[in-house]
Amino acid sequence: MTGRWHFRDHEAERRLFNRRVLLASSAIFLLLAILVAKLVDLQVVQYEYFSARSDGNRLHVQYVPPQRGVIYDRSGTLLADNLPVYNLTIVPEEVNDLAVTLDYLSGLVELSDSDLETFENQLRRSRVPYSSVPLRYVLTEEEKYRVAVNGHRMPGVRMEPQLMRHYPFDSLTAHSVGYVSHIDQQELDALDETEFENYGGTTHIGKTGVERTYEHLLHGQVGYETVEKNNRGRVMRVLASTEAIAGNDIALHLDHRLQIAAEAALGDYRGAVVAIEPETGGILAMVSKPAFNPNLFVTGISSRDYDPLVNDTVNTPLFDRSISPYPPGSTIKPFLGLAGLQLGLVDYEFTIDDPGYFQLPGVSYRWNNYTMRTAIGGGHGITDLRKAIYQSSDTFFYDLGHRMGIDAMHDFMSLFGFGGNLALDIAYARSGVLPSRDWKLETRGEPWYPGDTINSSIGQGYMWATPLQLATAASMIANEGRAVRPRMLKSVGGEPYRFEEEFSAADVVLEDPDYWRYMRDAMTMVVHRPYSNVFRDYGTAYEAIARADPDMNYKIAGKTGTAQVVGISQSIRSSTEIRVSEQNKDHALFIAFAPAGHPRIEPRIALAVFVENGEHGSTVAGPVAKKVTDAWLLDILQLDLTVELEPEPAPEQDPLQLNPSEVAALDE
Amino acid sequence: MNSRDYVQVSGAPQMRPTVRAMRWLAAVKIDFSLLVLVLSLCCFGLAALYSASDGDSGLIRRQAFIVGLGVIAMLTVAQFDMRLVRRATMYVYLGGLALLGLVLWIGVEANGARSWLDLPGLPSFQPSELMKIVVPAVLAGYLSSRPLPPRLWHIIVAGVLVLIPTALIVLQNDMGTAMLVAMAGFFVLLLAGMSLKLVVAGGLLVLLASPLWYVFFALEHQKNRILSFINPYTDPAGAGYNIIQSQIAIGSGGVYGKGFGEGDQSRLDFIPESNTDFIFAVIAEEFGFAGALVLIGLYALLLTRGLLIAVNAHNMFARLLAGGIVLIVFFNVYVNMAMVVGLLPVIGLPLPLISRGGTAIVALFVGFGLLMSIDAHSRRSQSPRD
Repeated sequence: MTGRWHFRDHEAERRLFNRRVLLASSAIFLLLAILVAKLVDLQVVQYEYFSARSDGNRLHVQYVPPQRGVIYDRSGTLLADNLPVYNLTIVPEEVNDLAVTLDYLSGLVELSDSDLETFENQLRRSRVPYSSVPLRYVLTEEEKYRVAVNGHRMPGVRMEPQLMRHYPFDSLTAHSVGYVSHIDQQELDALDETEFENYGGTTHIGKTGVERTYEHLLHGQVGYETVEKNNRGRVMRVLASTEAIAGNDIALHLDHRLQIAAEAALGDYRGAVVAIEPETGGILAMVSKPAFNPNLFVTGISSRDYDPLVNDTVNTPLFDRSISPYPPGSTIKPFLGLAGLQLGLVDYEFTIDDPGYFQLPGVSYRWNNYTMRTAIGGGHGITDLRKAIYQSSDTFFYDLGHRMGIDAMHDFMSLFGFGGNLALDIAYARSGVLPSRDWKLETRGEPWYPGDTINSSIGQGYMWATPLQLATAASMIANEGRAVRPRMLKSVGGEPYRFEEEFSAADVVLEDPDYWRYMRDAMTMVVHRPYSNVFRDYGTAYEAIARADPDMNYKIAGKTGTAQVVGISQSIRSSTEIRVSEQNKDHALFIAFAPAGHPRIEPRIALAVFVENGEHGSTVAGPVAKKVTDAWLLDILQLDLTVELEPEPAPEQDPLQLNPSEVAALDE
Repeated sequence: MNSRDYVQVSGAPQMRPTVRAMRWLAAVKIDFSLLVLVLSLCCFGLAALYSASDGDSGLIRRQAFIVGLGVIAMLTVAQFDMRLVRRATMYVYLGGLALLGLVLWIGVEANGARSWLDLPGLPSFQPSELMKIVVPAVLAGYLSSRPLPPRLWHIIVAGVLVLIPTALIVLQNDMGTAMLVAMAGFFVLLLAGMSLKLVVAGGLLVLLASPLWYVFFALEHQKNRILSFINPYTDPAGAGYNIIQSQIAIGSGGVYGKGFGEGDQSRLDFIPESNTDFIFAVIAEEFGFAGALVLIGLYALLLTRGLLIAVNAHNMFARLLAGGIVLIVFFNVYVNMAMVVGLLPVIGLPLPLISRGGTAIVALFVGFGLLMSIDAHSRRSQSPRD
């Protein structure tokens, strides 16, 4: 065969080919050796490193958020609950066309503009890739069904179950219980290291009210689970877990029925009611009206819902009136009267002849009897402390305050909690102002003028107090001086809760304990002293409370107050002379406790009613208080308040009733 | 000579059945060692594919069907007479060019490359894959009928024969296959004794030209692949992601692997293209260094067997064809593995016989069939001399 066609050296060609095959074989061997060396490097030398990298890829520690404790009222009714809800969420990375998906979804579930707005806001924020973004909270049964049936057409759309805070009474508990909402960066920054860890899986935090105060009790302890995720972040299985510890369930002193009654009693007025159990300091009701629906904040309030709440400068629904200071007006007179007795500036016999105005010695300026500007003028005539309370004589207290001086007034009234915060668990309650010389110098840089004292004597001028403070102070009169530290929390996990601080509370001790009885009687007359022939000798709240309910079977000790909102010159004798706009109208106030002077039953409720621009403490705030005490004593506690009718004791000699004919007229 | 043998065997009707069966087996040209090696690799591949695809039985059935088809093609081709093959190469080559032209005209696009033909009555296939075998065959035919080592003129003609299909495949935007086809031609030239000085000079020229290519011609994703090869961690979530995840998979496999179906990287979809280009990472993760060595060993045995066939082939056409087929298979295997472990930039090439595939697998089987035919031919032509 060799050399048949050409002069080719087939053997030489064959040797050449074999040499080239040898060359190629060597190259193959060398290259494979490099490959094997690389594999040794990766799989043997760097095995630990890549093994860790592989675990790092797939293993993730996830937080398991604890279930938040629920909040009961004192009757065991839920005020804050956790409801299982299904939320519609979207994983943007898995969606083909977001606009199309959203359009399709809007045919299945109700999507409001605010839902879309919130969704798009969250979309813009930085987030973990492949994490879901909520689109709609709390799907209805029908919506759930529709999404489930059509889910396969919408990659990236999921329904995620969640326990969602829910406030069954809506706006009723908006301010007192408060609400939870999404944790913001500021709140995260405020957490220390262990707290931060504990909030790893938590989305919501208490923002206001009890939810904020008792965040530490309600939150619970975070759990962990080690999960395996695929490269799209989907959890494939749970490898290990540490259970979360649910937060404590707590119960409040609050009673939802009284809360409802107090809220209803305010009617259409803006205002606040704070009711306290004098024996314990427990807050039975704390209403600020108008309020808002706290459930809106849980899911993340849309600007469409939020703007009206913020922009309503008249109703200010987000503003908690129950803990905000206002001029207390005449409601401070009982405390000032007790100060006068304690300091020996007045006694049971002491009287003044009230001409309807007060003048400082050597000063021509007249402080008018404020509450009478709207009436026919003139004064209360001969007036003792009791009449000065039930008729609310300004002149008497102008004189008393002037003689007492602002610093003595300050020291005595601070015992009742004015100018401070006696509340144990309402840290954010305002302190108001209990003025003094030092206070004015410090805050205003001005000296105290005698005229300042005159204004303060009737709860005006620099004097500011919150409804909570007024209710607290009223509780202390009801307790005859025993200290009251208001509180929301009643029990934790069924165990009664005891505050450390309550043992350090200071009681008010008077020279003569009978002063308490005296003041209680005077305050009872505010409500129960009827009309008589004597000019201006009835209780200021008689008409609106006792006379309005002839069947009333218990007594209320109270004090009306009407607080000036804007400075109306003292020279104007009647408010009809100026055009008083709605928001310049006086605030109506009323403090009370009941039952008062009952032979068997200690006062069970003390309260303060504040009606913004209500004008008259007697006719507007008084009936509100009556409805609340009725609800508590008669409807809720269902006390048997009937008193064995003893023969009416002979009317004691009244130092005011000098004229026997007037006494006879009174008896009619 | 061998035709006489053939007549002898087929024309012996009165032998005992065992003898007859043995004669028949000898007549049917099968290289059992090659067959066993190829089938072992395919089984390895099916197992890896089962794991990589998360037990996708449809995919496995399809792959097994294609392997079966390949085996039939291989055994059929093994029966071809080498002279027939040699005569047919130029027509097959021209037919292949026609098909490539047809692809440019009515081709179907998949994964960014427009390289499929979807002709009525036929399953869709890639003509470019066939050229991996056809180009070495046509070069072997051209060069073996001329004195070796080839003269410059012959090298140039051979280069043109290689460049035409390569260019057509580049136009399909299938760089990986184009490179394979070009290398197939180069390997045949190399085996034919092309001057090594010329090879080195050409290599230097490519080396010098590559910066120019990088600056002026390289596409964005090609640049990214090169950059991420140099340091994958410059863009760990983008261009570097594939190689990082692949290395994590291989490294975390350790010496003995995580076990069949237990590869976390593959099971949780961290390995990209785990059914095709990166299937070696799945094997290295689940079967470890030991498994990778077994796979490399199987390939090495296959190559050794192939080179032995080439060396023992009785004429230059058969030698060049067998050597070219063996080297192009090695090149394909090596580039894929080196890419997966991070020794080479990411180049879109599957792992022969292991990765999911269609035409590519059948083309390989045709190549092995040719090896078998060459082997049988050379044995027969040697036997009378013995």
